[in-house]
Amino acid sequence: MVRTNESSASTLDTELRRGALVLAVLSHLRTAQYGYSLRQALTEQGMPIEEGTLYPLLRRLEAQGLLASDWRIEDGPPRRYYKLNSKGTRLLADLTANWQALVVTMNRLLK
Amino acid sequence: MDTQAIIEDYVNKVAAKLPRKLRNDVGLELRTLLTEQLGSAALDAGRLPDSEIAMDVLRRFGQPDEVAARYAPRGFQLIEPEYSPVFVKLATLCVAIQWAVSLPAVLTSRMTLGDWWLRWGFSAFSWVGFLVLWFGISSWIQRRFPTDTVSGIRPWTHWIFWVPFPREWRPGEPEAAEWRAGTNAAPLGAALTIFFIAPAWILGHLLPSGTDTSWALYDDHFQRRLLTPLIALMAVRLVLLAAAALNELRRARTEALRFGLWVCFVALLYWAVFGGRIFAHAITDALFKAWLLIFLLVNTIQILVWIRRVATRVRIQKTLG
Repeated sequence: MVRTNESSASTLDTELRRGALVLAVLSHLRTAQYGYSLRQALTEQGMPIEEGTLYPLLRRLEAQGLLASDWRIEDGPPRRYYKLNSKGTRLLADLTANWQALVVTMNRLLK
Repeated sequence: MDTQAIIEDYVNKVAAKLPRKLRNDVGLELRTLLTEQLGSAALDAGRLPDSEIAMDVLRRFGQPDEVAARYAPRGFQLIEPEYSPVFVKLATLCVAIQWAVSLPAVLTSRMTLGDWWLRWGFSAFSWVGFLVLWFGISSWIQRRFPTDTVSGIRPWTHWIFWVPFPREWRPGEPEAAEWRAGTNAAPLGAALTIFFIAPAWILGHLLPSGTDTSWALYDDHFQRRLLTPLIALMAVRLVLLAAAALNELRRARTEALRFGLWVCFVALLYWAVFGGRIFAHAITDALFKAWLLIFLLVNTIQILVWIRRVATRVRIQKTLG
């Protein structure tokens, strides 16, 4: 029973984080990043994302026309760098405003 | 096994499952990312990368099939969930109709059961395939040319492969519309009730004197056994409908009674149609029965719709006892 509750809590926590995933990723792509560096940066900020989730997500966001990407060879192997384009920047602004409104509402509800 | 070979094999397995245009690009990116992931995991483990660490990294990343599915463009549903119930009903109906139409040949010994199964029984299932194709194409068209979200207007392309589109909900429908129609038709109903008491006699008074109205005389047997209950039912229904139309509370209270009378009326009409002659004159009888059959068909459908509506209505007793 305890295990079931723990598993439900874990599932709900994952669901909660999943909702914020896109916003978290977009927030860190104002400057160009490649998949691994982005993951490291998000983990350092307290938002660890599984690599198996993050890398395909970058591709999907690019396919949705929110990111621009290019291959670069700098100090290491060739890496694909992703960066917000103008549409992605506008979406980030919208999502940020929505998120902040949601935080205010949730804080009020959770008092 | 060499760690790079493990990663290479994994990346190839993923790439093989990807659409051709993504294959190389994603494969190359994945190889770089996994190699860096492996380096980081080895650093955390405090030793050089080895096959054990590589396998651990790849296991965490996911099975190649799952990973490919995450990268590949999302698939689509051949039959959208909102159309599944109607698809099942249509497929069942088509199979049932083909069986119902063809089985009498077996029952009347014109065909063996084996022959029937080979010729008609099994082939009825081809309707399912046909409907899958139809709904699939319709589903593709609806995705390719979506409905205008503001106006709710469907593009003309949706009508090429028509499926029963979900109707937009409007409050009060369809009962309010039915009541409006019922109220409007009430005077006609009253006139018909009076007319059917003695059509030949009424026509004799309406038409020029000397006109032969014997063709409108009832059959004796029908007149003795069914006419009175039918006219009485028509009259009582009309009174109840009029009372209910004027008062909503009365409408709810008399619902079961009105439905019972309606079913009795339709049942009596079926009896009249199939139980013998209604009019003494053969041609009048045939024409009237043809009209009556259409009327009965419409009413039977309406009764079934009504039963379904009432059966699916939310009731407090169902949950709270």
